[in-house]
Amino acid sequence: MKAPDSGRLFRYSTLLCLALAVIAPASGDIYLLNLLVLMLIFIIFASSWNLLALSGQGSLGHAAFFGIGAYASTLIAVKTGLSPFIALPLGGVVAAGVGLLIGLTCVRLKEWFLAMVTFGFAIITQTLVVSVLAPVTGGWSGLASPRLLSAAIPGNSFIEYYSILGIAALSILAIRALMGSKIGLAFAAIRENETEARASGVDPVRYRLLGFAASAFLAGVAGALEIHHFGYVTPDIFGIDISFLPVIYTIFGGLGTLAGPVIGTVILTIVSEGLMNFGLTFERFIIIGLILILVVIFLPRGLVSLPEEIRKRWKRHGDNPVVSQTKKE
Amino acid sequence: MNYKQYTIILGIVLMGVILAAGCTQGATQPAGEIKIGVVASLTGPVSNLGNGMWDSAVIAANEVNAAGGVYVKEYGGKVNITLIPGDDQSTPAGGQTAVTKLITEDKVDALVGGYSSAVTYAHEQIVAQYKVPYVVTGASSPTITHRTDIDTSYIFHHCPTTDTYGKYTTEFIDQVIRPAINAKFNFDAGRPLRLGIIYQDSQFGQGVYSAVNNTIHAENLNIQIVGAQSFKMAESDFHTTLTAIKAAKPDAVYVAAFTNEMVPMVTQARRDVGLNTFFLAVENNDAPAYYKGLGGYGNYSVIESRFSPYTVPTGTIADAVAAFKTPYTARFGSPPDMMGASTYEGVRIVAQAISDAGTVDKASVQQALVNLRMPQMIEAMQNGVITFSSNYHESQFKLYMEQLVWNPTAGETRPQIVWPENLKAADFVVPDWYTPGSG
Amino acid sequence: MVDVGILLQIVFWGLYAGCIYLLLATGLNLIFGVMKIVNFAHGEFLMLGAYVTAAIFALSGLNPYAIILLTMLVLVSIGGFVERLCFRPILGTGKLNEIFLSIGLIYVFENVAAVIWSDRWQSIQSPYSGISIPIGPVSLPLDYVIIMVVTTAILTGLYLFLERTQVGMAIRATSQNRRGAMLVGIDVERMDMLSFGIGSALAAAAGTLWVVSGQVFNPYMGSIPAIKAFAIIILGGLGSIPGAIIGGLLYGLAENATAFLVGGPWKDAVSFIVLIVVLIIRPRGLFGEAEE
Repeated sequence: MKAPDSGRLFRYSTLLCLALAVIAPASGDIYLLNLLVLMLIFIIFASSWNLLALSGQGSLGHAAFFGIGAYASTLIAVKTGLSPFIALPLGGVVAAGVGLLIGLTCVRLKEWFLAMVTFGFAIITQTLVVSVLAPVTGGWSGLASPRLLSAAIPGNSFIEYYSILGIAALSILAIRALMGSKIGLAFAAIRENETEARASGVDPVRYRLLGFAASAFLAGVAGALEIHHFGYVTPDIFGIDISFLPVIYTIFGGLGTLAGPVIGTVILTIVSEGLMNFGLTFERFIIIGLILILVVIFLPRGLVSLPEEIRKRWKRHGDNPVVSQTKKE
Repeated sequence: MNYKQYTIILGIVLMGVILAAGCTQGATQPAGEIKIGVVASLTGPVSNLGNGMWDSAVIAANEVNAAGGVYVKEYGGKVNITLIPGDDQSTPAGGQTAVTKLITEDKVDALVGGYSSAVTYAHEQIVAQYKVPYVVTGASSPTITHRTDIDTSYIFHHCPTTDTYGKYTTEFIDQVIRPAINAKFNFDAGRPLRLGIIYQDSQFGQGVYSAVNNTIHAENLNIQIVGAQSFKMAESDFHTTLTAIKAAKPDAVYVAAFTNEMVPMVTQARRDVGLNTFFLAVENNDAPAYYKGLGGYGNYSVIESRFSPYTVPTGTIADAVAAFKTPYTARFGSPPDMMGASTYEGVRIVAQAISDAGTVDKASVQQALVNLRMPQMIEAMQNGVITFSSNYHESQFKLYMEQLVWNPTAGETRPQIVWPENLKAADFVVPDWYTPGSG
Repeated sequence: MVDVGILLQIVFWGLYAGCIYLLLATGLNLIFGVMKIVNFAHGEFLMLGAYVTAAIFALSGLNPYAIILLTMLVLVSIGGFVERLCFRPILGTGKLNEIFLSIGLIYVFENVAAVIWSDRWQSIQSPYSGISIPIGPVSLPLDYVIIMVVTTAILTGLYLFLERTQVGMAIRATSQNRRGAMLVGIDVERMDMLSFGIGSALAAAAGTLWVVSGQVFNPYMGSIPAIKAFAIIILGGLGSIPGAIIGGLLYGLAENATAFLVGGPWKDAVSFIVLIVVLIIRPRGLFGEAEE
């Protein structure tokens, strides 16, 4: 599968998306703004997971990096008095360091084995945070985290929103640049066929570790952003639901594409929020569950493949409308 | 990807944004209506508690509205309460979104509810920023109003905290269980009680555990903690934990757990491990599912309570409880639980505060809550009044202890209040199968 | 320092916990063997098994152990439907899609159950719940002894089915070599559906045993046991039924030993540390084949 989308069109559509995101706060709607902030954070988080998938790996424990970034950034900001804006990338660096360690453990593992081990790491991290690390992390009580911007600053919600928008845009551009570079080519080679990649001089271990570290860095930044937005961090941040969300968002939108995690996050958040505004509770999750099932059956490559699928069916008019079965990892 | 694909995708995104904007247009406020936002977990793993909170709030609003509403001086008459649900989905992010919507879209006059401390911390900050009076009726951590990184002056805690849980149960153990055991087995009156503790590895469980320790030291009680074990939240297999506690030979075991953990624990202790001792449960278990789940294994065990489905302390509370329980059971098919009870009271407290303030102006309502002195309703309070402490805005609950006794008609155990003296309906009993610890 | 009586008890509790796990894990592995997929929503069949048992029990008042067969029958059909409608269309589209589909199924099953049966905790009482058999320092509850016997019976039945019957052999053939099975005229899609149904029924049996041992249940109860079952088949080796059985018992024992020696909160973490160490040494699990 082609990963990076390139060309003029990409630039135009990105600009349009950005323009929409930039004018959104003009509505003055704080609820919308808060929703968008959470959405942007999850776009970063889902994109980080997508990046790992692009390097031919998978994780069911991405909450570990999300949480480590959050705790590290909070602790750095609290202990040193640095602005959260400076603590944020440092939190990401700590997450990347841990990601590197986990990646080292996992180099020989693939697929389900890798999935389960990463899942286990999230649980082990949580257990450590509430036990041996409790004197620093506050254990189950958690820690108050400085806001990205003090509530005393006028218009703080707006500045916060634009900062996070900037960070999200920057992250996506960084992933795009990475995928367009030599590294991206190496990722693709490993993803397609590891033996061949090795034969052509690509060291899979090195690139795998790089993928893990880069993905963990972004996940850590996303976690730190969420926590500086909430103003409080608790060990619940390592929860299973947090690990599964980027998986859901990315695959829903389109695995391995730059737009996939963005579209997935935006649409699923809106659907969920919209259904909630109709007062649906359990029914909301039944509907979302059915949507997920239908999408994976009829659009196994995610929502981004929708136009292509429509076109295919158009062409095959009269044919048996079979969903294309693309082999994909 | 080509042009067409992108137009379609962008179209979808655009539609989405419009949809979101459309969905967020809150209703306009008719003049003279009190809007109360109820923050509860209507979905997610703790939805059973959240739905109970919402249902109870509905009963409270109906009761107030049926009596004509709340008298608000500013409006020159009585106005109705409208409740608006805010589903926190049992997650911090969900709670933040829900509370932001309640405050900025629905423009609520006050908030009630809030379960799970982790969820509540994340949205407290918005409440502090917008200065909306918030009566927290579900989260049990004292940190809710003790934290100093945000301004908690608009936040009021109407729910016993883990400090309160630990204090009352420990005092009961010292005043009732210890003498009863020493008398029954002819032990020396100075023999300390051997207490085992099993607690959930969470803020709730650790809070109770440290409260027990603090109470023993602060009041210099003759209680010796002989074993302490913790377990992971949502655990269902306690055999090994119980075997370890049994090896410590306790006279009684105090457990800080949720109902889904408490039921298998007591069952496994009595049936499988042969730990024939008193189990003491925290008040959050006093709900129908607990009695049904325990069956006969609950016989003679002890539970702390502030609101029970099956018993009421005698006095004025009894009538008030009936006024809440009867319509609730008729409407929802099962009796309410204690989270529901404090949420019911939370709505009534807000109504009273608005009435006292004579306006829905938030600063005035906050002041009214600070000065509130309201007679107790369905839960027993210290000195019979609901009032928020000046330092941490906590109301002071008066908890009582119940002993569960087998009721052949119900085919389950039923609670009897055994402590304190002024509320008790029966004496605490040491059954024949009970085996004291030794060491 | 630790006396033998206590040690024996811990082993016994470990074995009991292992029974529920290994039924779940065996089902999961049977499905993996044939279809090469992992159903993360497997725990929802455990949950459905618990509710179906409780519902039949409430309606009929039959002995809950007799209901186990009925429950398994109901779940065979539900499992078959899920395979036909959801998993078959996505076969071969990638492992991540299986996870994604499972998450969708989890949402649907959990919340449908909440709508039908409410989200409250429920429980039923086994007719034998008061009876215990004292053996030395331990008193074994009759229910647990029955649970162990039933688990053994189910596993024996499964073994005989797979070894001695025509259909069972066809399932094994599909599991060993799908293409080859197809060539000799086995309807592999039928085998998929069948093994998925049987796998779900094993989860349902675990659900029934869960309920009769006096455990409480609610619509969200399935996800944690499912993940543990998944960890077990990874530990034991994907597709290996002996691996699932030994992995399940090991897991149960490791958990209980941890709870005793280190403390309850470490149960899951230590189990996963064991898993990681095993995988570092043997990247395909204890009984896993060298390559797929």
